[in-house]
This record gives sequence, C-alpha cells and structure tokens, in this order.
Amino acid sequence: MENGLVKLTVQGVMPDAIPNSDSQVVILQDEHKAHTLPIWVGAAEGTAIRLAMEGVIPPRPLSHDLIRNLTEQLGLKISKIVVTDVKNNTYYASIYLNSKQSELTVDSRPSDAIALAVRTSSPIYVAQDVLDRLAPENVDPWLKMLGSKEFGGTV
Amino acid sequence: MLTQMHVRGLMFDPYTNAYIIILRDDSNTEMLPIWVGKPEASAISFAMEGITTPRPMTHDLMKTVLDTADAKVISVVVTDLKENTYYARVHLHYEDSEYSIDARPSDAIALALRAKTPIFVNDDVIRKHSNEEMGRWLENLKPEDFGKFDA
Repeated sequence: MENGLVKLTVQGVMPDAIPNSDSQVVILQDEHKAHTLPIWVGAAEGTAIRLAMEGVIPPRPLSHDLIRNLTEQLGLKISKIVVTDVKNNTYYASIYLNSKQSELTVDSRPSDAIALAVRTSSPIYVAQDVLDRLAPENVDPWLKMLGSKEFGGTV
Repeated sequence: MLTQMHVRGLMFDPYTNAYIIILRDDSNTEMLPIWVGKPEASAISFAMEGITTPRPMTHDLMKTVLDTADAKVISVVVTDLKENTYYARVHLHYEDSEYSIDARPSDAIALALRAKTPIFVNDDVIRKHSNEEMGRWLENLKPEDFGKFDA
C-alpha cells in the first residue's frame, strides 16, 4: 500500500438503482473487502469500463482505447490512477504517467481514469481520506447487491 | 491528395437513431456526412459551441494528457472508407518525432476541435462516398430534421 492510499479493484458495473437513470455505478473494493467505494458514472463511461473488464476488443478503438494507444505510442506509461477527493458528491481522480524524464499527473474524472486503468492493467488507488468520508448509507445498498444474485449484472 | 474540411454541423438522423457530423470543404463543393455515436456527438457539439464542463470530459482528458506530455496534435485525417466504416488517423509531434495513430473519425474530430488543428479527408474517401447515395439521403431530409440534436 502506498502512503495514505488504499488499493481497489473494480468488482462490477451496475445500473443505477434509480429507475430510468442514465447513470451506472462502478463498485470498487479493496482486497480484504473492508472498503467499498461506489462511483456513479455516465452510461458511456460505464460501458467503456465494462467492455474492457469483459475483455471485449471492439472492431474500432473506442475513446479510451485511443487514449491508451496514444500514450503507448508515445512511450508514456500509466503507472497508477488515484481517486483523490470528493467534493459536493463529485469525485476527483488523477492519472499518473511516466515519461522518459518525469512523472506526470493529469486531472480526470474517476470514470475516465478507471476506464484507462482497466485497459492498461494499472493499479487503482483511493485516498484513505475519501473512504473515511463515505457515508454508510451510500455504501450499504451496494454491499447488499454485491451479495445478491443480481450482481454481475451488466447493463 | 487531401482536402481540408471543417465541421459544418451536427444533426440527428431519425432513420438510424444516430448522429451525423457534416464536414465540408472551404469552397462548399465537397461534403462528407459521418455517422457517430451519441457520446462522441456530445463531445463534438461541446467543442463546437465552446461549452466547458465543470469536470473534463473524455476528449478533454485526451487533450490534457497530450498537452501535459508536450505532445502536439498536428492534424487529423479521415483516411479510408471500408464497408461503411470510416477510418482516421491522428498525427502527432512528440520529442522530435512524428506519430500517426489509428482512430475513429469521431474521436479524431473531437480531438481536432479541442486542439484547434486542421481536419483533412483523403480524396479517395470523398470519391467512394457515392454522390447518388448522398442525393437520396438529402432528398429524404426534412427541414425539421435540422437542429434536432440535444447534447
């Protein structure tokens, strides 16, 4: 574990519980299943994450495939992504890239950062502070769904 | 040969439930419609209208990654049309070398509008895109089909 960061993996992408919502929910958990982080994402980004998790290789590169291809061709390596903060229900993330000379950091929505992480097998971290500020009532319904048959449900 | 084109409009195609980007050259003699998905249409529409979102959208991130690394988009080129699929390439300059990366035209155009770089179309693509098909499609268009796009 890096300082103040908890490593998470994507457990699944689910439709939002609110009927007719266009959003999807990415469920992240640490290896001990002690922490669960649900992150609401748009339909396009949710699909981008799900397709990569399912190993689907689309006939033409999707937007996040293109970002991965751009970085790979230029010799930039994504070393990790970090969910850094949450303010007014908006999550913030950073993408860490290694170039020959230096480490670069790019501000991103978590959805794009996660879509890139699952395409490049890069580790996903969350700041402990973000986990500490999670309200249990936001997490419990998703924990319940994780245990149910509905889970693994794709959209 | 390449022809420089500009994004002249974006519309909703009620027949295919998809969005169409209209590219035209400066003299308005050539026109190329390209069908794109909804998220890419939004990405192009935001850039055309100069809308900035509170958080970076996917193509904003694409540009920021390149900017942060000091990589410069030189141009994007719609290179080919095969079995109704358009192909494009993004040309980049990075650390004294040039790179050319395969992309869908929608992503390439969304990036070009943000990087303010020219969009070119290979003349073969314009030729392949049959005039006959175009004429039929235009005849079917109704005035109310324009302006149906909502981002």
